[in-house]
Amino acid sequence: MAQPAYQRNTNVSVQEGIEKKQKNVKKTFIYFILMIYALVNTYPIIWMVINSFKNNIEFSKKPFSLPEVWQFENYKTAWKTAHLDTYLLNSIIVSVSAVILTVFLGALASYFLARFSFKWGKYIYTFFTFGMLIPVHATLVPLFLLMKNLGLLNTHVGLILPYIAFNLPITIFILVSFMKSFPLDIEESAIMDGCGVFRIFWHIILPMTRPALATVVILNFINNWNEFSFALVLVNDESLKTLPLGLANFAGQFTTNYGAQMAGLTLAIIPTIIIYVLLEEHLVKGMTAGAVKG
Amino acid sequence: MHLLSQKKWPILIGLAPAIIVYFLFAIIPIVISFYYSLMDWDGFTKMTFVGLANFKEVFNDPIFWQSLKNNLYVLAASVFGQVPIALFFALLLNRKLKGGKFFRTVGFMPVVISTVVISLVWGMMYNARIGLFNQFLKIIGLEQWAQNWLGDPKWAMVSVSITIIWQFVGLYLIIFLAALQNIPQEIYDASEIDGASGLKQTIYIVLPMIWDTIIVAVILCISGSLRTFDLIYVMTSGGPGHATEVMAMYMFDKTFSSTRYGYGSAISLCIFFFSLALIYISNLILRRKTV
Repeated sequence: MAQPAYQRNTNVSVQEGIEKKQKNVKKTFIYFILMIYALVNTYPIIWMVINSFKNNIEFSKKPFSLPEVWQFENYKTAWKTAHLDTYLLNSIIVSVSAVILTVFLGALASYFLARFSFKWGKYIYTFFTFGMLIPVHATLVPLFLLMKNLGLLNTHVGLILPYIAFNLPITIFILVSFMKSFPLDIEESAIMDGCGVFRIFWHIILPMTRPALATVVILNFINNWNEFSFALVLVNDESLKTLPLGLANFAGQFTTNYGAQMAGLTLAIIPTIIIYVLLEEHLVKGMTAGAVKG
Repeated sequence: MHLLSQKKWPILIGLAPAIIVYFLFAIIPIVISFYYSLMDWDGFTKMTFVGLANFKEVFNDPIFWQSLKNNLYVLAASVFGQVPIALFFALLLNRKLKGGKFFRTVGFMPVVISTVVISLVWGMMYNARIGLFNQFLKIIGLEQWAQNWLGDPKWAMVSVSITIIWQFVGLYLIIFLAALQNIPQEIYDASEIDGASGLKQTIYIVLPMIWDTIIVAVILCISGSLRTFDLIYVMTSGGPGHATEVMAMYMFDKTFSSTRYGYGSAISLCIFFFSLALIYISNLILRRKTV
């Protein structure tokens, strides 16, 4: 049935309008769902930060509102009585030394595994990547005994060494795949100029690897910063405890002062959050490296 | 590869430090646990050889089986909780949305926060008296639904699993998003011309294309859930009773609270082989489906 031209036009535009409206409704709905997701994801942290400024009475009476009187006191209590300063210092010493050593040893090994061909190269690479499958907890008891025999229990070194060992696999995995992508003639011209193998590593390969190094450094740092099981088993001495270990301890002691407890936890995650916000791309890349190719 | 491979000694010098540290502190512990697992030793008196008695005891201890069951519970919660939720939000975020990056950032955040902090905060949220959940139920007038979330054996595993799901959804979200963004635009266009859009397109075109990534995610879930320890240790220490006992927790208790190093080593080995076997099996099952 033929319709007059003007009528057809309005039909089309009405239909378009409906489609547009449907699209808008759909979009709003999607945003609504995403907002709920974002809220669920952040609320525990927000709740912690808000309540870190409350005293016990307010905390139990008005758990969802902002504090009436901001109790900065809580932070002082957490910092002083909970030895957070000691824990923080230990965490920095252990994490930073482990990161430097892991990345240096890992980069050196990756250089030879990625840029040289020799009989055992492939096997050594597989041997390293196998480490990503080792369940850390299966090594706790024997590692404790090993450290006991070596006299390294309750030392920073005793913690740094396993941190290096268990972060080498992912470090080497990321660095090798990156270094393999460089063209071959890079070293060849350097060799013509009479450069030694290690000078090529230091002056040519390492600077070229900078983006991957950044990823690996941040990944290692966060892993070590958050590590708990090894610290729990290998360190007993109060003055050597790292932040996660100290916090677990501190929560047990201060079960009655919720505000101070939350303040301590807030202080502990500030470095992590700062690193995450500033260097998100690198961190995400590192933590998903095993699963995402390319 | 080229000119550099003429001399062997620099290769040796370059690889040796990494190999030594890795071998000594990651591989050797597994190897020596074979030795210790055959011994009875409290760390002070003389070690005595007991053969396979430790393993026999492990397999005859109902608490070990309870802990294994709980590991599998966490595993199921991770695979059937984290993966679908992550996939759902990855598909939502895969369209061109304003503010997509914000949701990605927020989504991944729990993954970078220390498990100890997460456990303590969630522990307080679950607190029966002053916790967030019960307070919330009180405000909306559903006080009768309030529970002792971590103290009641009926609810403890559920509560712990919810926290675990919350903590790691972001990891899989990012992994799925990366895979989705690797699908070329032409494939979407072509399938739309063929009449597949919306849900149809997702099920028949998109999901098969990222199937490999889903497998990787499931395997990561499995190996991750077998590593559950920090969270349980801080939140419940395996209690109430042994309601939230997991294998690593059981091992820790038996070794360091009862100072039985031989027995602990035997449990360590069980965890090790169990993990490898499970990863291998899941790999086998899931890969077959794709062919």
